[in-house]
Amino acid sequence: MNLRRAVITAAGPARQEFPLQRLVDRDGRMRSALGIIVDEALAAGADEIAVVVRPGDEEAFLEAIDEPPSRLELIPQPRPEGYGAAVLLARDFVGDEPFLHLVGDHLYVSDTETRCARQLVEMARAEACAVSAVQPTRESMLPWFGTVGGRRVARSDRLYEIETVVEKPTPTRAEQDLSVPGLRAGHYLCFFGMHVLTPTIFDLLAAAAPDERRSLSTALERLARRERYLAHQVSGVRFDLGLPYGLLTAQLALALAGRDRSEVLARIVELLARQPQSP
Amino acid sequence: MSRLVAIITADDEALRDRSIDEACRGLDAGGLLAEAAALDAFRRGCPNLYRRVRALFFLAAIHRYHLPAALGERPDAAGAATIPAPGVALLLARRYDEAIDLLLACAASGPSAGLSSALAAAYRDLGLQTLANQVRQSVRAIRGNQWMFRVGHPVDHPLRVRRELVRRGDGGAGTPFPVLHESTPVRMDLSHAGWSDIFFLGMDCPEAARVLNISVDLGVHGRDPAPRPPVEAFFRVIDEPILRLTSIDLDATADIADVAEVFDFGRDHLGLLKAAVIASGIVPPGIEGSGASLAEVFAVVVGPGLGLELVSSVNGIPKGSRLAVSTNLLASLIAVCMRATGQARSLSGGLDEGERRLVAARAILGEWLGGSGGGWQDSGGVWPAAKLIRGVAAVEGDPEYGISRGRLLPSHEPVPLGADLQESLVLVHGGMAQNVGPILEMVTEKYLLRSGAEWRARREAGEVLDEIIAGVSAGDVRRIAAATTRNFTGPIRTIIPWASNAYTEALIDGVRERYGGRFWGFWMLGGMSGGGMGFIFDPAVREEAQAALAEIMAAAKRRFEHGLPFAMEPVVYDFAVNPRGTWCACREGADALLPAGYYARTVPHLLRSARRELPESRRLELELFGAACRSRPDMAGMVDTLFDKLLPPAAAARTGGRELRAALEALGFDEAEHEQIRADLRAGRIGLAQNRLPAATAIEDVADGDVGWWEPGADADGGLRAAGVDAIRRGEAAVVTLAAGVGSRWTQGAGVVKALNPFCRLAGRWRTFLDVHVAKARRTARLAGGTVPHVVTTSHLTHPQLEAAGLPVILSPGRAVGLRMVPMVRDLRFSWEESAQQTLDEQREKMRDSVRAALVAWAERAGEGSDYTDNTLAQCLHPVGHWYEIPNMLRSGVLARLLRAQPRLRWIMLHNIDTVGTDLDPALLGRHIDGGAAVTVEVIPRHLEDRGGGLARVNGRPRLVEGLAMPREEDEWRLRFYNTLTSWIDLDALLRLFGLGRAEVLAAGEGDAGAQAAIAAAVRRVSARMPTYVTLKDVKKRWGHGQEDVFPVAQFEKLWGDVTALPEVPTRYVVVPRVRGRQLKDVAQLDGWLRDGSAAAVEALGDWD
Repeated sequence: MNLRRAVITAAGPARQEFPLQRLVDRDGRMRSALGIIVDEALAAGADEIAVVVRPGDEEAFLEAIDEPPSRLELIPQPRPEGYGAAVLLARDFVGDEPFLHLVGDHLYVSDTETRCARQLVEMARAEACAVSAVQPTRESMLPWFGTVGGRRVARSDRLYEIETVVEKPTPTRAEQDLSVPGLRAGHYLCFFGMHVLTPTIFDLLAAAAPDERRSLSTALERLARRERYLAHQVSGVRFDLGLPYGLLTAQLALALAGRDRSEVLARIVELLARQPQSP
Repeated sequence: MSRLVAIITADDEALRDRSIDEACRGLDAGGLLAEAAALDAFRRGCPNLYRRVRALFFLAAIHRYHLPAALGERPDAAGAATIPAPGVALLLARRYDEAIDLLLACAASGPSAGLSSALAAAYRDLGLQTLANQVRQSVRAIRGNQWMFRVGHPVDHPLRVRRELVRRGDGGAGTPFPVLHESTPVRMDLSHAGWSDIFFLGMDCPEAARVLNISVDLGVHGRDPAPRPPVEAFFRVIDEPILRLTSIDLDATADIADVAEVFDFGRDHLGLLKAAVIASGIVPPGIEGSGASLAEVFAVVVGPGLGLELVSSVNGIPKGSRLAVSTNLLASLIAVCMRATGQARSLSGGLDEGERRLVAARAILGEWLGGSGGGWQDSGGVWPAAKLIRGVAAVEGDPEYGISRGRLLPSHEPVPLGADLQESLVLVHGGMAQNVGPILEMVTEKYLLRSGAEWRARREAGEVLDEIIAGVSAGDVRRIAAATTRNFTGPIRTIIPWASNAYTEALIDGVRERYGGRFWGFWMLGGMSGGGMGFIFDPAVREEAQAALAEIMAAAKRRFEHGLPFAMEPVVYDFAVNPRGTWCACREGADALLPAGYYARTVPHLLRSARRELPESRRLELELFGAACRSRPDMAGMVDTLFDKLLPPAAAARTGGRELRAALEALGFDEAEHEQIRADLRAGRIGLAQNRLPAATAIEDVADGDVGWWEPGADADGGLRAAGVDAIRRGEAAVVTLAAGVGSRWTQGAGVVKALNPFCRLAGRWRTFLDVHVAKARRTARLAGGTVPHVVTTSHLTHPQLEAAGLPVILSPGRAVGLRMVPMVRDLRFSWEESAQQTLDEQREKMRDSVRAALVAWAERAGEGSDYTDNTLAQCLHPVGHWYEIPNMLRSGVLARLLRAQPRLRWIMLHNIDTVGTDLDPALLGRHIDGGAAVTVEVIPRHLEDRGGGLARVNGRPRLVEGLAMPREEDEWRLRFYNTLTSWIDLDALLRLFGLGRAEVLAAGEGDAGAQAAIAAAVRRVSARMPTYVTLKDVKKRWGHGQEDVFPVAQFEKLWGDVTALPEVPTRYVVVPRVRGRQLKDVAQLDGWLRDGSAAAVEALGDWD
């Protein structure tokens, strides 16, 4: 599988400001979240990148990308028609090739030397099929994530054959249809905001009924029935900047995984020492 | 290998289904004990739950039926060995395994019928507990339910109310939150295949668990314009961070801000709504005890500052309808909550199959949480029309696999309804509301034992179901009617005779008499008859029969209402098959209103509040409601209703003051004594704690020489029998039956004349307790060739009814009456905390605690020690104890009449109405005459069920001691003998106690005022020496449509047994067989009484008809 292109979606209503948030990256440089995400894609081998944005945001997003790839395209999404519709807009940019898809409001910290997106792309190359990155997630977080159900691929400890995809399931539905053997009780495989997809996804998104909202999860559910589709539990952690304290947590995680770890730790300790004792 | 273990472990079905009675036939006590030891060892090591449970039931049966018969009740001291008090304490604490070990250790040094009675109870209850635990574990383990037990903090809560319900629409704050309206039919079952729908049985034998279940809409004939889904639930978001619950039909509402209160089920009548909120996951069970506030939970689930309102309504369908109203209401509430939280996909319309199954599973969970117990098929109303519900074998991956043979949840298959039942069936509620719980336990026990006749009947019930299904498919209503009738008269009555009753059979006879061949058949709904029932007619007469049944039921109720517990007037329904199951509509904008009944309850309160104090949403709602009153037909008449609510007419529910005073005057109420008792009670001079003898009192078991033993036939050679026969022939003997009581335990406080309760079929007909005693007196008189006067003592509660019964007895009306009082809180606490109590399972225990807290609040609110008048007259007054019955005969002139008719009368046999095995046995009379005592009291060797005192040496002197007088409750278990109350009295000796002679009694009877005054003074003098006990009695208060609340109220009484404490009354004690001395106090005893041969023995004692 040859993978050269990446699509980043950043046009979600009320979420489009998160890619522009500025943070200190692992190397101690002040950068936008989008810049860090573009780095993630570049490190995975995708040097042609499209970003789907809200009309009018193009200039700010161009400025936010401090290390542009060899090809960068900003695709405006004229109407807020949903996540699936945003991905579909990148069909012409992607062409007939598999591609890496990232969301613009998530940051990732890998547990290994290999960055998260790279781990995913390597797995997709090895398996030669669509693969979504997933992370075991407590059921209390289900209202925020797409979730997959499936079974573990034989002789693999981090790879799953996807059978079902449900967007933001209730815990009841999750327990009935999305339980995965081997996970801790009350934990489910939730999307990581990072996928390697085949062009089939565009057909599925385009084929949505006229009265149906183009949902990426629905299309992914159909993809699982159309072709081999895997979930890979990458070694790393995702941070959704849109959650309460999401930006703060992401910043801390980046800092503690980077060169300024000791300094940040010292500041945290200092902060803790200054806090009045809780009652 | 033990033959019983071989049966349990057999692969061959024929051997596995062999009954225990057949297998134990021919075994002597040694053989039975060896089998019991083998079974006990087997059940301790057996990993298979159902084999283990079957072994437990086998053990219970051996100890309950087979061993006592083999051991005999006598003849040596070991035969009357005591039950160890620590063993009883362990049983009460439900620590059955430890209790069994302790009891077995005692039995090793000498088995006895008494010890076996305790072992039987321990094994049986352990079996039932094991089964119940398994059901509970399965409920928790069902996928889709597990997560609710993991959520321990609001932050972890994974549910969200759907955004559509939190948005107010285009008008913003000027429009109301949408209202979800779920309407649900109830279910009727054409057959439950012989109670095979009990969870335990469905899981034990899924292939036998099949029911045909139909969802129906209902209306009350003559009241409602058309049938409609009788159960409704409403859900909406509110702009206060609370949970507002309202039950329209139970007229109850609560604003709840505390998580703990959501789990407090007994506090009010909103337990079902609370169970739904919990079982739907909105306030999941795992969050109980977390310390979180409801506002914190709702901030996550609904949104900051918001809350939820849940409203339930049952369309006037009374309790006990056997239509699973409460389970379907719970399911309806759960369904609407699941829709609101996205656990069901659609906010309107029906549910898909997976969602229905989940609602059913959650309803089971809700019933477990609420401490109630619905059946396996009861949420059938969630499904549309007719369906066959079947047990499903557990397979690998199921939580039940490897533990039980069947899954907890059955499957539901639609069945086409070829027959138009609506054209032929008249559905009724007979008016009786009874607890079906004991029946379910009896069935479970019989099936696990594979009792011969019952097991064959179960198979036949399966065939009947096939016949019904064939009739339904073929559209042949006559065939269905024939099958349901066969079901009732055959398998159902064979398995559980108590599923029928005299009232039901009178109805069937009445209908058959009037309609002959056009009455096609009878159909029992649910677990027992008397409540919901069906009568199937030729369609040509069905409409007329609807009206006729109302008359027939009303007449039969009048005939039986004094003896059977009726909760309400009988009702005839209109019904229609519901083709869509539970159904939801989302009301928005001006339509977002709750039903009229809700506003009738809430608007008066809102109108009394200052407008500015009402939240915005309430003000808006009042405006919408006002507009709806002017435009919507369903709100027509609301103005009048509200006016009545705001200015209610004088309350009529309480016992009217004038009526009460008149009754008290007429019944000999002693106002001065009542006020003295009240003062003593309030001051703590009398009370439950003061009932007890001083702690220093020495209570010991009697010595062997203190009692004599009597067995039927054994005295014949001694001439005692002949002496007794001669005395009866000479007219020297009379029988006095105590029948002043209202069967508080028998009917759980319903208040019927126990003497007139037709409790069992004997000699081919339903017989009342009094019928039994009359038949026995008749036989004795015939055999002895004499006349035996039969006096029945009555009270204000029982006299008119017994008089109307027209039996050949002499009634002795009560001469004293008491007025019940609101109990003292310290007595309530003493009763609950200082007396030995049965521990319940976890949820029921919580429920009981919650109810008790509510009762304490009630006592404080109503005024401790104040008169209890908030009920019917019969429930406010009380008889003052059976001590007064003989003095009453003196005062009322009844004894004088007897003496005039039979001047040689000298011997009186006094007994309680529920001692059905006792009779005027000439041999016992001869023994009493020969003994020369003033009183001879019959006692029986104590079994576990015999609680409430016994025969003891008190400070060295033998006498009877009441249970409530025991200084230490555990002392009771050291007493080998239990008091039957049956007493043989020497009339002259008794008159001497009162300082009276026959002449005075006769003179008083002639109206001699001096003699009457002397008798009254004598009675007062002796009565003053008898202790006064304060007791708590449960009384039911009925309200609404068959609803009942039970209140413990205080009363006082003096008891006959204390006459044995008087030193001038020489008393002897005789041990009689249990079959003679056993009292029937609880309906749950009936099955064992029938099975162990007691019923047949009683039948043999009477001249019937």
